[in-house]
Amino acid sequence: MKRSTSKRVMAALMMLVMLSMLSLPDEAGAQSPYKGYTYNQSEETPISINGYLYRDSIDGYDWFAGPLKEPEDLFIAGDDTIYAVDGGNNRVVHFDKSKRLLGIYGDPGGKGQLNGPKGVYVTEEGEVFVADTLNHRIVVFSRDGKFVKEFGAPESPLLGAGFVYSPSKLIIDKRNYMFVVSEGAYQGLLQIDPNGVFKGFFGANLLGFSWEKTIVKFVATPEQKEQLSNEKPPEFSNLIQDQEGFVYSTTLGIPTSQVKRLSAVGVNTLTDIEFGDHHMARRNWERLFSTFIDVTVNDKGVFTALDQTTGRAFQYDKLGNLLFIFGGIGEQNGLFKTPSSIAETSDGTIYIADRTRGRIDRFRTTPFADKVHEATNLYVDGDYEKSAEPWREVLDMNSNYDLAYKAIGKALYKSGKYREAMDYFEMAKARDDYSAAFLEYRKQYMRQHFAWIAGGAVSLYVLLKIGFRLYRKWRSKRSQSKIAVSEGGSAS
Amino acid sequence: MNTVRLAKLALLHPIQFFEDIQERAKWHYAFVMIGLAILAHYLSLNFSGFLFQTREPYQISILIEALWIVVPWLTWSVTNWGVSTIMDGEGKFKQIFVGSAFTLMPYIALSVPVALVSNLLAKSEASMYNGLELFIFVWVIFLILLQVKIIHDFTFGKMLWITVLTIIGMFIIWFIGLLLYGLINQSIQFLIGIYKEINYRF
Repeated sequence: MKRSTSKRVMAALMMLVMLSMLSLPDEAGAQSPYKGYTYNQSEETPISINGYLYRDSIDGYDWFAGPLKEPEDLFIAGDDTIYAVDGGNNRVVHFDKSKRLLGIYGDPGGKGQLNGPKGVYVTEEGEVFVADTLNHRIVVFSRDGKFVKEFGAPESPLLGAGFVYSPSKLIIDKRNYMFVVSEGAYQGLLQIDPNGVFKGFFGANLLGFSWEKTIVKFVATPEQKEQLSNEKPPEFSNLIQDQEGFVYSTTLGIPTSQVKRLSAVGVNTLTDIEFGDHHMARRNWERLFSTFIDVTVNDKGVFTALDQTTGRAFQYDKLGNLLFIFGGIGEQNGLFKTPSSIAETSDGTIYIADRTRGRIDRFRTTPFADKVHEATNLYVDGDYEKSAEPWREVLDMNSNYDLAYKAIGKALYKSGKYREAMDYFEMAKARDDYSAAFLEYRKQYMRQHFAWIAGGAVSLYVLLKIGFRLYRKWRSKRSQSKIAVSEGGSAS
Repeated sequence: MNTVRLAKLALLHPIQFFEDIQERAKWHYAFVMIGLAILAHYLSLNFSGFLFQTREPYQISILIEALWIVVPWLTWSVTNWGVSTIMDGEGKFKQIFVGSAFTLMPYIALSVPVALVSNLLAKSEASMYNGLELFIFVWVIFLILLQVKIIHDFTFGKMLWITVLTIIGMFIIWFIGLLLYGLINQSIQFLIGIYKEINYRF
């Protein structure tokens, strides 16, 4: 009898241990197929702790409506439910965080039938706007999936002859104007008012100046020049709107400023930053270009851009400082074949759609990323002193994180500790900030040691003057004695 | 001691120096001067302030930095001697070799102090630092021109002409040097290839 109770206790204990093992998240064992890294001021890529790790995927195999096929675009509504353009099935699916299907948009026939849709936007009232690319129109569905209306191709002399309207992505701003990316439209984003009338282009990209082109233009024949003028400015690939009404856009085919934050008048408010990987690999001697196809922004202004070439997502803070890089091209979970869209929910989970695989991968933040986000949110708001503490914890976890050194330096600078600030700026290689701290420190030092410095200078001057006079006297005496010797007199 | 006196003379009375050096040139002066120049260069790289030094210490190799001084100096001496001998210059190779080494005297004397001063400057005062660097550079150029003029006893116009020819000659030497390096490299690779091929056959 006694023996069996002890056995029972043992078994219960074993159960408890095993259960606790199951419920505890296995942080150390979380293997990731990609290695975390970051860029420092010297353009090197030191290893960093991963900010995002693969959590799970949504493929829709347990939905009654069938699985996803070639998902093209993701949209996160205000209540954190997800709308995904299911391009291969010509529909838009609506589901929530626990993968429950909530609705389907796109009819099997009639006016509401979609053909190769590529973009979706959902208003606060739940109206679903779909960029129906191959039908050259934008379709509006009601919340319960009924066809409401459509916007056909806009008409305007500004669009030029031979303009083909292929809307691929869209947003709707606070005035209910639509901002539409039309594939191949290099003039900018199309602004369309609620009545479907074209209201002009927004935030056009410009052709950059290049010496090569200028020289070629000098020597080219008229026929060659004609071909040159066919060169188009780079076109937009995607756009999203943040809570303040700024439009974040991605652009193809340019080496810097691939991500732009456009103000209400279409001016880029992010400085000229080289987004993505800086040392791209070569294929057939040609350097590969990054292809930014989507961007997402959270309520703190932290934005994450998706590069199709490397399959990596790059996260930046509001000022454009690189925070994390994750993902890649490959077969394992956490890598992609053809990533097509990225979106972030309010709990910080990042959704990335993979067109070829037909699924949506979810990434969660690591404790390291949570700490960095806490620090950077204080930092970009200018609350340097408060941000110093979380930044120090970030450095405890990862001493390669240069942004933390710079931020702590700024906090020290603000509290008047210029000497310490200089050390931190030097570690972050932040030369401009170092120079500012150094100027303050020099001023302070001069003020504190003014008596010594002035006294030292005066006494040095006096010493030199006396010394020089003595030296001269000594020299003239010596040369006199030499002359005396050479003349045959006695030297004494 | 003699070297120090000559160095002082080169700095303060360069005309007299280049007249003196024609009689008193000794080979070892040149090596001492070049050694000092390399040392000064290395120290100035290490001492300059964080704002004015974009390279990390581990990125600086003393061997490469030394080559930046030794190679131009050697090619200059050889070319200048060659060109001036053809163009009726009076200088001997020894005089040019030693005199050229002494033209680096302003750099030896001032580069380390300038590097130290750069520690007291902010980024907005970079023009001061650049001005000092330019001052050293101009002084060295001035000594080089003066050397060509005095050692070979040229007129001003001919001095400029010989200098230009010397610089062209230096580039030709470097070009041929690179060419030879490439060709010798290729032929060595070729011989190694043949050896490997034969090795595989038998």
